[in-house]
Amino acid sequence: MSKVIVVTSGKGGVGKTTSSAAIGAGLAMRGHKTAVIDFDVGLRNLDMIMGCERRVVFDFINVIQGDAKLKQALIKDRRLENLYVLPTSQTRDKDALTKEGVKKVLDELREEFDYIVCDSPAGIERGAHLAMYYADEAVVVTNPEVSSVRDSDRVLGLLNSKTALAEKGDGSAVKAQLLLTRFDQTRSANGDMMSVEDVLEILAIPLLGIIPESTSVLKASNEGTPVSLDEKSPAGKAYIDAVGRLVGEQIEMRVNPGDQRRGFFQRLLGRTA
Amino acid sequence: MQSGKSAAQTVATVKPLQIRGRTFTAIALHLSGRPDRAFFEALEARLNQTPLFFDNAPLVIDLEQAEGLDRAQDLLHLTAELRRRKLSVFGIQSGTPAQAQAAAEAGLISLPGGRDAALERVSRQGSRPEPAPAPAPKEPANRLIAQPVRSGQTVFADRGDLIVVGSVSSGAEVIAAGNIHIYGRLRGRALAGVNGDDSARIFCHALDAELLAIAGLYRTSENLGADTPRHYVQVYLQGEVLRIESLK
Repeated sequence: MSKVIVVTSGKGGVGKTTSSAAIGAGLAMRGHKTAVIDFDVGLRNLDMIMGCERRVVFDFINVIQGDAKLKQALIKDRRLENLYVLPTSQTRDKDALTKEGVKKVLDELREEFDYIVCDSPAGIERGAHLAMYYADEAVVVTNPEVSSVRDSDRVLGLLNSKTALAEKGDGSAVKAQLLLTRFDQTRSANGDMMSVEDVLEILAIPLLGIIPESTSVLKASNEGTPVSLDEKSPAGKAYIDAVGRLVGEQIEMRVNPGDQRRGFFQRLLGRTA
Repeated sequence: MQSGKSAAQTVATVKPLQIRGRTFTAIALHLSGRPDRAFFEALEARLNQTPLFFDNAPLVIDLEQAEGLDRAQDLLHLTAELRRRKLSVFGIQSGTPAQAQAAAEAGLISLPGGRDAALERVSRQGSRPEPAPAPAPKEPANRLIAQPVRSGQTVFADRGDLIVVGSVSSGAEVIAAGNIHIYGRLRGRALAGVNGDDSARIFCHALDAELLAIAGLYRTSENLGADTPRHYVQVYLQGEVLRIESLK
């Protein structure tokens, strides 16, 4: 049975699109047929992060409005067999999204895909609302910082009340899990950043993963490669672990996977982000 | 789920029509006797003093002192004359039943004029509507929330106590007519006894509130003070002072 997963946060710039791409790629690497949809109409980014921006012909809005078939708009990833991207329109705005249109596209995708990852725009307005509305599960992306945590809390409230599952009123709810991104253990230990425990205490949802702040994330974005394809980087490893937990595996939580292999000088100088 | 609001409201629907109440101001023209030549001359003179002021203004003819004027033909003539002078006549007031009948035939509406007329009408009908029976006092109803209350959510127990099993986040609001019990950390706002019950209390496992209020008296986090107990506390009113006390 296919699952719709929304990647959301409320606050902008915390790593929703990066995480959507990494989770989508991670699921595809495990052999699940996966589609990643960009809901950020007007600010098309997902296709760049996934490295397929030059292959966009039709988009999500074209499909919603019946101007193109879903098959025409889906872009198959060149690196991963099972990965597809549904880009959004750069020229339209969020009003082009309709509840009925989104449902139609998601229903069609559900027939063919195992996982559908919805990359939500920032905010809690129409685009973000429709991205989460039909979700079965949510990945709430949060930075260890007070305003990001508060916005995530707000989003969790909306997931509990303004989604198709919540509106059924039979007690079903979107299963929400926390993905803590841009985490820096040194700064957290110094008290410059919130600790994992603080964030979990406020948000009170299960922890899906901790992604360390890493130069490899920015590099991967610029190259148009999902971070999880870079299996050597700590961030890539952390995403791969998170995806494992997302599909139900028990994987031990490591704050910084692969940290043991750091050299003497690196340890002496501390971590440089 | 907790707020109970429907997300369906976000989908705009187009209604074919809408009916709205509206009040506006009209001009009343008091006639004394029949509209003869002298009347129209006086009217012309008045209109000339402020040439544009009455243009297309809605106008009602007051017939209280124009007893003879009870034929539709008379009213039609008068209306035509007034409209020729750019006065938008739409009705009459203070008319006799015969005048009202004539007005209806002339295409004018008959308005109830002023307070006296309205009272007279009620007494003529002879029966005042029975006052509605006083609503039965509502049963107290407590409300239990078994999930965290998230930022941006408001939970309101309008007829009793509010019990939250979980934390109340910063930016969330819990409001009750009675007491508020929070089995978790209170980071948001808590307002107990909002209907004026000054015996209401707030209880919480951990206190980190943005605002505490009982029966309208409030304190914000800024003036809670550093020595305020933060764990297992109750908040209550003592006279005009909001006291925060450890339960230990």
